[in-house]
Amino acid sequence: MTTASRDTVVSIVLLLFCGFLIWAGYQIRDPQFGELPPAAWPKGVTWVLTGFCVVYFVQSIIADRARTPDDTAPVVDRAPGLIGWFRYYFNPIICLSLYFAFLATLPYFGTLIGGTLLVFALLSFLGGVTPRLLVIHALIAVISVGAMWALFTFGLRVLLPRGEIFPGI
Amino acid sequence: MIIENVLTAVSELATFKTLFLMTIGAMAGLLAGAIPGFTIAMAIVLTLPFTFGMEPSQGVATMIGVYVGGLSGGLMSGILIGIPGTPSSVATTFDGFPMARNGDPGFALGLGVWSSFFGGIIATILLVAIAPQLAKVGLEFQPWDYFALIFFALTVTASLAGDNMIKGLISGALGLIIACVGEDDINGVQRFAFGNDFLGEGFAFLPVLIGLFAFSQLMSDVRDTASARKSLTDMGDVRVRIEHRRAITTIFSDWINLVRSSLIGVFTGVLPAAGSAISNILAYDQAKKASPTPEKFGTGHPGGIIAPEAANNATAGGALITMMALGIPGDIVTAVMLGALLIHDVIPSPAFISEQPTIAYAIFIAFFFANFLVLILQTGALRGFVMVTRVRMYVLASIILVYCGIGVFSLNNITNDMWTLAIFGVIGYVMRTLKFPLAPMILGVVLGPIAERWLSRSLALSTDVTEFVTHPWSLFFLIASLFSMGFSFYQKDRGKKVWALWYAPLLMLALTVPLFMMGGMVRPVLAGLMIVWAAWMLIKLPGNARSIRAA
Repeated sequence: MTTASRDTVVSIVLLLFCGFLIWAGYQIRDPQFGELPPAAWPKGVTWVLTGFCVVYFVQSIIADRARTPDDTAPVVDRAPGLIGWFRYYFNPIICLSLYFAFLATLPYFGTLIGGTLLVFALLSFLGGVTPRLLVIHALIAVISVGAMWALFTFGLRVLLPRGEIFPGI
Repeated sequence: MIIENVLTAVSELATFKTLFLMTIGAMAGLLAGAIPGFTIAMAIVLTLPFTFGMEPSQGVATMIGVYVGGLSGGLMSGILIGIPGTPSSVATTFDGFPMARNGDPGFALGLGVWSSFFGGIIATILLVAIAPQLAKVGLEFQPWDYFALIFFALTVTASLAGDNMIKGLISGALGLIIACVGEDDINGVQRFAFGNDFLGEGFAFLPVLIGLFAFSQLMSDVRDTASARKSLTDMGDVRVRIEHRRAITTIFSDWINLVRSSLIGVFTGVLPAAGSAISNILAYDQAKKASPTPEKFGTGHPGGIIAPEAANNATAGGALITMMALGIPGDIVTAVMLGALLIHDVIPSPAFISEQPTIAYAIFIAFFFANFLVLILQTGALRGFVMVTRVRMYVLASIILVYCGIGVFSLNNITNDMWTLAIFGVIGYVMRTLKFPLAPMILGVVLGPIAERWLSRSLALSTDVTEFVTHPWSLFFLIASLFSMGFSFYQKDRGKKVWALWYAPLLMLALTVPLFMMGGMVRPVLAGLMIVWAAWMLIKLPGNARSIRAA
């Protein structure tokens, strides 16, 4: 028995998404005027997308069937299983989590403080933590975000989000 | 009239502020191009937030500076360390790096720098000559033709995804879906919003673009801790003097290669979505085939540097031709420029050059001037590149990540755009990981609303769908779309399978139908010539088929 490849799994997820889009297409209100109803274009594109996803699914299934047990799986330098996957994508996951945390705390910290904390956290997470590195990272964070903030605030006259904790900046 | 437009555009550009901005842009492009892992598209999307507050011509001039700089910067790292700074310099490394290792790095850099310059100048000449003429053709277009043109652009984009054509098509269709979210432009009805305010506002194009391209690229760059902590290069102290005179003499002695490669670059740029990543390899391949010493390619042959570098810079000119004449982005970079122009309420279309001559001519002049600027900067700032490539990737990535957020916020001054950026950063990263090409999705997002608008206008004029095949230009683009969908299969089987021999003559014969329908003098004559050529290919077909079967 051959196991489903990643492409097969992705194509199934896409087909489910297409199903959702088809349903959502029918929820679009029709104002009953104009030659092209607002739902027509999204519905058309959804059906086209569904067609492509069906082709992708069939291609993946055929590729899976053509695979013999002797075929070697593509070489991936990560351990199998969920923990292996998590370890492999650990850096992007943490970076994204930090970024989302920055966005969530933006109303409290504001751009200058929040941005500095984010750069410092990213640098320390990715670059390692030693007393010397921490000082360097702190300096890089303060200088880079400070320069950016000053450039946008005073140079480009953009009113960047300010925080509740430090309303002045 | 033309002289007046040129003078007005020159007076707009010849200010200290614009020249300074262009210089900064070109420098930023050169640095971004020199850093392996960064792309020109990423450099240009990061420049965007600064251009919002500028005059349209200033903003576009700055972006052109980045664009030309990025195209030229890639050759530095490609020649000196063997890692192309951008995909547009991949073929440059084939001969540039061996030449540098053979003890001739100054000559290799000279060839790269001057080929880029000459390629850019040839492209400028073609841009100025072709864009207004193509725009005149574009004025013949009716809504049906526009819709078919955009359909063609989307199919070409997807077909260029190579082996992953189906993934390219899915990516393009997903881009069209993303563009549907929010309020519909025509009727003001909310689509795919589900009562949610965030979705109801729709996704602004630029946060989507920066998320998909820059944000996801940064995530990819830091995935592996060890490589993220390394300096970008271990070049040591590079003391190279660019050999200008020797390089220029060699390029002039190989002028056929230079002109051919530049034409390949321009032509590739004109095609929607076929950018410099493709043109440099095509030009290298043709230079090798045409050379009397093809066996020397790959060992440090000057022709192997001239071809890709001339082609990749010339591609920019080709992409600008399509954007300015038809309002269709030739590649990701011109898609960003299109977005930037739209922010300034400037809508590129066939009428663009006649209605907005100052901006149009400013683009011509900026592109011409950017090539000189980059030549000067490149010559003087080699040590600066070396310093930049010593920075560790994680430092750059962390700072740019925050910069992306701040830059996106400055677009509309709403934090929703920052969330959009992060969400599309995740989507972009997932797509990269699953090997879905991002370019079709970006073009889907850009072209989707335009296509829908033209479709709506077509149907408002007539509900008869046969109009799409009775209008010659529409039929022309629909036929071209049909064949472009089979292009990747043709490319794969060319010279190997008999069916591929039918592709070119059938395409030519099919295209003669709309050409005859257009009437006039030139086009039917052109169609007649195409019939003769196709007939010649069909006569030779049995012989070619036999040799393929024998092989």
